[in-house]
Amino acid sequence: MTKTDDARPAVTADGTPIELADIQGDILRAYGNAYDCTTYVWIGLTGGPQAGRDLVARLAEEVTSAAPWGGGKPTHHVNVAVTADGLRALGVRPHVIDSFSHEFRQGMKDRAERLGDVGRNDPEHWTTCFTDGSAHLLVTVNALTPKRLDEALARLRSVITETHGHTIVDEQAAKMLPGSREHFGYADGFAQPAIEGVSEEKTRGGGVPQSSGRWRPLALGEFILGYPDEDTRDDRERRLPSAPDAPLGRNGTYMVWRRLEQDVARFRRTVSAAAERYECGDEAKLRAKIVGRWDDGAPLSHYPDAPPEDTFDGRIPGANDFRFLDDDVLGAKCPIGAHVRRTNPRDALGWDGALSFRHRIIRRGMPYGPELPKRATQDDGQERGLVFACFNASISRQFEAIQVQWVTDGNVFGLGHDSDFLMGGEPGSGRSMVIQGECPFYLAPQDPFVSTRGGAYLFVPGLDALRALGVGHVS
Amino acid sequence: MSPPVNAGPQTGTGTPPGNVNGQAIAITVFSTVKRWGVPWLKALVFNEPKLLPQTLLWLQKLSFIHFARWTLVTELPHNGAPQPRQKLRHPHLYFESNFNGGWEEYIDAFSYVLGPGMTAFWGSSYGFPGPVPTAPFKAYIQTSDLTLVASHFYAAYPESTVTMIEQSLELDGYLDELRAKVDKLSPDEFVEAFDALLAKGQRCF
Ligand code: HEM
Repeated sequence: MTKTDDARPAVTADGTPIELADIQGDILRAYGNAYDCTTYVWIGLTGGPQAGRDLVARLAEEVTSAAPWGGGKPTHHVNVAVTADGLRALGVRPHVIDSFSHEFRQGMKDRAERLGDVGRNDPEHWTTCFTDGSAHLLVTVNALTPKRLDEALARLRSVITETHGHTIVDEQAAKMLPGSREHFGYADGFAQPAIEGVSEEKTRGGGVPQSSGRWRPLALGEFILGYPDEDTRDDRERRLPSAPDAPLGRNGTYMVWRRLEQDVARFRRTVSAAAERYECGDEAKLRAKIVGRWDDGAPLSHYPDAPPEDTFDGRIPGANDFRFLDDDVLGAKCPIGAHVRRTNPRDALGWDGALSFRHRIIRRGMPYGPELPKRATQDDGQERGLVFACFNASISRQFEAIQVQWVTDGNVFGLGHDSDFLMGGEPGSGRSMVIQGECPFYLAPQDPFVSTRGGAYLFVPGLDALRALGVGHVS
Repeated sequence: MSPPVNAGPQTGTGTPPGNVNGQAIAITVFSTVKRWGVPWLKALVFNEPKLLPQTLLWLQKLSFIHFARWTLVTELPHNGAPQPRQKLRHPHLYFESNFNGGWEEYIDAFSYVLGPGMTAFWGSSYGFPGPVPTAPFKAYIQTSDLTLVASHFYAAYPESTVTMIEQSLELDGYLDELRAKVDKLSPDEFVEAFDALLAKGQRCF
């Protein structure tokens, strides 16, 4: 995890030590902007269970944990996650596999309809390894420089060859665009959940909104298995949330990985055409209304009329501290259907956030593909988009609830079946976006801006669990 | 720390297809009521709804819940001879509700928003684990719900939720107002009136 060398051991609210040395890195804290060269390597364990376990054992030696680094920045980091097909390919005993969550075992492809992966997003348009069961292991390599990344990848390939018979089924390079932007041109990576004993400095704006006006951090168990979560934190019987059988459940978590292709030219054309009718052609403001933040990340809730004069700095305490019910019930500042208001409604659903606080995710997405030249409004035929990656203790309760109830549908917000305008929709679906205000603005029905091109549900084992998988303790 | 206990179902949203119709999801739960529960439920819960005002008000305000109904069943419905009248040895609490959205989110609302009310209704039922933690409560509901699949389930507006229908009716009211005066409006006045309608009805689209 961390760049700080704080010597105090991390503990949860009830004093339970957080076993950072057993939790993989990049989950609780990002490795940081310095590691901006990333490659996701998908491996099919085609050499049989024993060769698969040999590979996992070798990888376990390389994996970076969340423990403080000490002694300077490593040049690169390696992290490993496994799909349910991967567990089967490793020969993990069926009753152990059955202890994993239902949605993980089922896999992303078989939940396509629920997730809105229909039409242009249908798995028939996905890279085949995500539909034919051959994506088993995901190795994520983060490096300081392109050269360090190449070295680490070369090393990974030789480990793969030495342990025999495996196939690299997909490789996806990703890189933050200048100014920490994603392809549509918005700065990304400001808002993350605040976690007790881990990231309490983010509590204002990142925790759970309280009616007192304060915020409180979330329990670690919402994001790492083996610790009390928001449900069990006050349980008198001190039960823990459900998790896979020992030793796999401890210090592990679930991961969602999706390749979301972005049609940048179409997004630019649609928004600039619509802006001609919006507030005297104020395209920057219209863009901000779609996401809920200006291009530089400044939240509309703080800057409803114009972005701040100096570039917004999301690290300043309170920079993300905003709510919606105090003075923006109607959405005149931040529209009710804006991306950040949908994906994290904070207090917007009422009852002190009771209907939203259990649906939070840690995001670690990264753009892929070359930037479309600044003013281009025609597609250049290059593939580009966002590798959407997130971590959560329950894929169904956290990621899927956001994706299904909040992004793909709008009913809970009183927006009918309108989906998130940022993702776009099927032509002819008639879905749109209302930008609330004294004179509301109606954004015409959506075009397809974002399309799913592959993805999988994964489990990220703790380091002990990874070693146990490697030596076949659960096979 | 105590050893890990699977504190609930592995996943929610475990609704059998028979209990889904259009946007609506049906849930049915039967629970056996302890002896003391009968007078408690009859006296306090069913006859004095004022005692649970908060719960009932909030239940109405949770717009994704179409309705919720609790019934105390002490005897089997009698359809006339030759069916003998049959009192139940143990009275049962019969709960039925329709909602839209996710099963988990629905029960979350019961746990986190309506907790005390849920204890009033189910506290006298065998096996009720309490409204929180929500995982065992979900398991309790799910055991019963999974086995009870609706044989008749009708939706008049399968594409709409209750929220959408209410919004449409509200918008219809504004349209009626406009329709009533439209003949008397000049083109400019019409533009003004139409814009006013869009502003007034912006939460209905
Ligand atoms: C290509 C697709 C997407 C793009 C371009 C995109 C872009 C963005 C941007 C620019 C922000 C604001 C920056 C920030 O608050 O840190 C953001 C925030 C966020 N997005 Fe996305 N996003 C995409 C897809 C998704 C999806 C599919 C989900 C979830 C299912 C999601 C969940 C979130 C969440 C939870 C936040 C933080 C909101 C908050 O806590 O205030 N995003 N996204």
